[in-house]
Amino acid sequence: MNFKLYKINDMNLDRFLAALLVIFLLLGCGKDEVNSNSQDYSDILENIGNNVILATYEELDLKAVILVNSLTLLENEKTQDNLINARQAWRDTRQPWEQSEGFLYGPVDQKGIDPSMDSWPVNQTDLDAVLNSNAELTKSYIDGLDGTLKGFHTIEYLLFGLNSDKQIGDFTERQYQYLKSCAESLKGSTSELFLSWSPSGDNYISNVISAGDENNSVYPSQKSALEEFVVGMITIADEVANGKINDPLVQKNVNLEESRFSQNSKKDFADNIRSIQNAYLGKYKGSEGKGINSLILSKDENLNKKVQEEIIEAIKSIENIEGSFTSAIFNSVSSVENAQAKVRQLQQTLESEVLPIVSNL
Amino acid sequence: MHKYLILIIFVLSLASCTNEDVYIDPLDEDVYLGGETSIEGFFINIFQQPASNLSQEELTLHLKSDQAFADIFVSAPSTHNSGLGPVFNQVSCEHCHVANGRSPFPSNTDNLRGLLFRISKPGEDEMGGPLAVDNFGTQLQTKANFGIEAEGKVDWSYSYIVGNYPDGNEFMLKNRIFRIYDTYMPWEFTNLISPRIAPPVFGLGLLEAIPEEQILLYADPEDIDNDGISGKANIVWSVTDHTFKLGRFGWKAGQPSLIQQTAGAYHQDMGLTSPLFPKESCENQTQADDYSDDPEIDLELMKITTFYAQSLGVPIRRNFEDDQVKEGKKLFRKLNCNACHREAFVTGDQSDKPFLNNQKIFPYTDLLLHDMGDGLADFRPEFVANGYEWRTPPLWGIGFTKIVGGENANYLHDGRATTLEEAILWHGGEAEESKQSFKNLTKSERNAMIKFLENL
Repeated sequence: MNFKLYKINDMNLDRFLAALLVIFLLLGCGKDEVNSNSQDYSDILENIGNNVILATYEELDLKAVILVNSLTLLENEKTQDNLINARQAWRDTRQPWEQSEGFLYGPVDQKGIDPSMDSWPVNQTDLDAVLNSNAELTKSYIDGLDGTLKGFHTIEYLLFGLNSDKQIGDFTERQYQYLKSCAESLKGSTSELFLSWSPSGDNYISNVISAGDENNSVYPSQKSALEEFVVGMITIADEVANGKINDPLVQKNVNLEESRFSQNSKKDFADNIRSIQNAYLGKYKGSEGKGINSLILSKDENLNKKVQEEIIEAIKSIENIEGSFTSAIFNSVSSVENAQAKVRQLQQTLESEVLPIVSNL
Repeated sequence: MHKYLILIIFVLSLASCTNEDVYIDPLDEDVYLGGETSIEGFFINIFQQPASNLSQEELTLHLKSDQAFADIFVSAPSTHNSGLGPVFNQVSCEHCHVANGRSPFPSNTDNLRGLLFRISKPGEDEMGGPLAVDNFGTQLQTKANFGIEAEGKVDWSYSYIVGNYPDGNEFMLKNRIFRIYDTYMPWEFTNLISPRIAPPVFGLGLLEAIPEEQILLYADPEDIDNDGISGKANIVWSVTDHTFKLGRFGWKAGQPSLIQQTAGAYHQDMGLTSPLFPKESCENQTQADDYSDDPEIDLELMKITTFYAQSLGVPIRRNFEDDQVKEGKKLFRKLNCNACHREAFVTGDQSDKPFLNNQKIFPYTDLLLHDMGDGLADFRPEFVANGYEWRTPPLWGIGFTKIVGGENANYLHDGRATTLEEAILWHGGEAEESKQSFKNLTKSERNAMIKFLENL
C-alpha cells in the first residue's frame, strides 16, 4: 500500500501526454477494471436499507409484540399449551434478531440497545435474588435492571430452564410476572431500535440510502456504505466461526454456549449466516431488489456464484450438526468442525475476494 | 513511424517513473497515522479492525482477544464470567468503549454508560497518588449487585458561556455541573470529583512502544524555552514493577502501562480482582463481599485484553488531498497546536510485539501533562498532575468520533464539547494563545482547521 501522488503541473506536458498514452495503451490491451466513480449504487443501498435492514427490525418489533402477548396469556392461564406457544414466540422473536446480526452497527451500539436485549451470560445469582425479593416486578423495574437480568437470555432461562427441561409445575408466580415484564421491556428495546432506523423515527436509514450525498455525516461515499455491509457480514461470520462455535467446542464447556437453555444454538448460528445471505442477495422474506450480488456479478461472475454456494453450504452444515449443539461438542465433534470450517471458508471469501472488489470501486 | 512513436513513448514513460516526478506532499506524510498497523476504510466499525501488519498467529490471538473485550461479567457465584462487583460501573469493556470508540454521553442519569467519576479527598496518599475517600475509594461505583447499594447517584445541571469571535460570529459553550447524591454513606462536599468519559482503545500499543526518552525529550516543566508551553511528565506508581514510572495512559496519564490500565479498569469499573489488584475495589468498606474467590480473573485474561488494545489498527487519513484540509493542517501548525498535539514519533524496537516496533506514527500527542486553564480544570491531582493539568489526548481517528459513537459521542475528558470547534474553544492555560489565534482566524480558516481535524 503506497500512495503515489503525482503533481501534474510539475511534469512537463510532453511527458504527461506520453504517460497518458501509455495508460490508454495498457487499458486497451488488458482487461483491467476501469474505476468508474460515476457508477450509481443507490438501488443497492436503498434496497438493502429498506427491504433488508429496516424490514428485519420491523419484523423483530412485530414478533416482540407476540412474545409479550403470549407471556401475558401464560401468566393469566398457566397451561402447557400456553407454555409451548410462549416458547415458540421466543424462538420467533429470536429469529429476526439473529438475522439482524449481519448489520450490527449504528444505533444498536450507539444507543446501548444491544446490552438490554442480548446480554449473556444471565446473572443467575442476582436473578434468583430479585425473584426472592419483595421488588414489584413491573416493566419499569425491569427496565432499570442491568442487561444480564433482562433481554432474550433471561427470558430464555426462565422459560426453558437451566437444562431445557422446565415443566409448567416448576414455575413460580413471581417468575410468570418477571417473564411478562421482561418481554415488555424487550419490546421497548425492539421499538427503540426500529424507530432509530425508521423514517418515522430518527431515520438512521437515511444515512445508508443517501450515502455519498454532501450532507451525509456518516458515509462520504456510496462505496463506504457498501463496505460497511460487507464488513458487517465478515464480522458475524467471524463471530459464529471463531466465537459462538469455537469457544464451547474447544473448551468443551456448555456454559459457553449462547442459546443453550432453549437448545436454539444451531438455529441462532444458521440465522446469523442467513443475515449474510439476506444482505448479499438483498432479499428478506420474499422481497425483490438488488443486493451485493448484483455488484459482484458485474465484476466476477464466478465469485458471485461461489459466495452464494458457500452461504448455502455454511447454513446446511450448521443444520446438519448431529443432535443438539450441546451434545455435538462432545459426541459429534467432526460435524461441528465441519460447520465451523464452512463458515470460516465463507468468511475468508468475503474478506479476501468480496471486500477488495468493494474497496476498489 | 509507428515504431518511432512507440519508442518515444516507451522512453518517456520510463522517465516519468523516476523518483523526481513522484511527488509526495510533506503535508501528507502522516496519511498512515499508525504506521504499518494502519487500516483503510470508512465505516462505523472502523475502530474494531485488527492492525494491518499482524502475522497469522497474531491475528488469531487478536480474534480471541476480541471476545475477551466483549465478555460480560456477572455476580458470583457463576459458572461463567463470575465476580462482578459488589459495586461497579459497567459489566464489560465494550459497555463503556462503545464500538471501541468514545462513550456516547449518557442520555439520562439512570445509565451512565462510559461516564465515571474519579473521587478523592484533598491531599495525597503515601505513594503521592489520589487520597481515597473513606468508604468510597478513588472511584464512585454507580451500580451494584442486587442487594448491595450503589455508592451513589449522579446528576447534572447546565451552565452556558456565550461568546463572540472577533469577526462577530457567536458561539456558545455548554458545561455540566455534576452532583453526587443519594450516597450509601455520608458524602463530604469537600471531596474532589473528576468526571471522565471512556476514550477510544485503538493505537494504545503504539503509544506504549514510544521510547520513554523520546517523550521526555519534549518535557519542559519549567518552560525553560519560554514558549509558554511546559509539558510535564507524570510519574506514577507501577504495581507490577513496584517502582515509579512514566505515566502514559488515562486522561491524566495516571497509569504507566497498558496492562495496569486494563487491570485497573477491570478492578475499578467492574469490581474484578486480579493478580495486579488482588483486593476488592470496596475493600474495608461496609459492602465488601465475603467470598474467597480473589483474584477473580487471572493474569492471562489481563494479557489477552491488553493484546486486543495493542493489536487494533489505526485508521488512515481520508481526503488528505483536499485543499481545505491542507489549509487546515497548515493552520494547525501555524497556531502551534502541534506543540502539545505533537505529530510524529517513531516507536522503539523493544516491544515483544514485533508489529509495534519501529513504526513511524502520527498520534498527535506528546503524552505529557499541560495546564489547560480554569475552564477544564477538575481541581483533582493525580500523582504529579495537578488539578489544572491533563495529558494531551491523541487526535488520530478523532474524525470518526460521531460516525462510530453516534451524535452523543462528544469530545474532551468529560464529553462536554459536542463539536470539535467547542473542544478547541474550551482550551485555556498553556493553550490560551493558540485558542485566541484560532478565534482570530476568519470563518473559512476556522472551518478549514475543523476539516483537517475531521480528516484525522
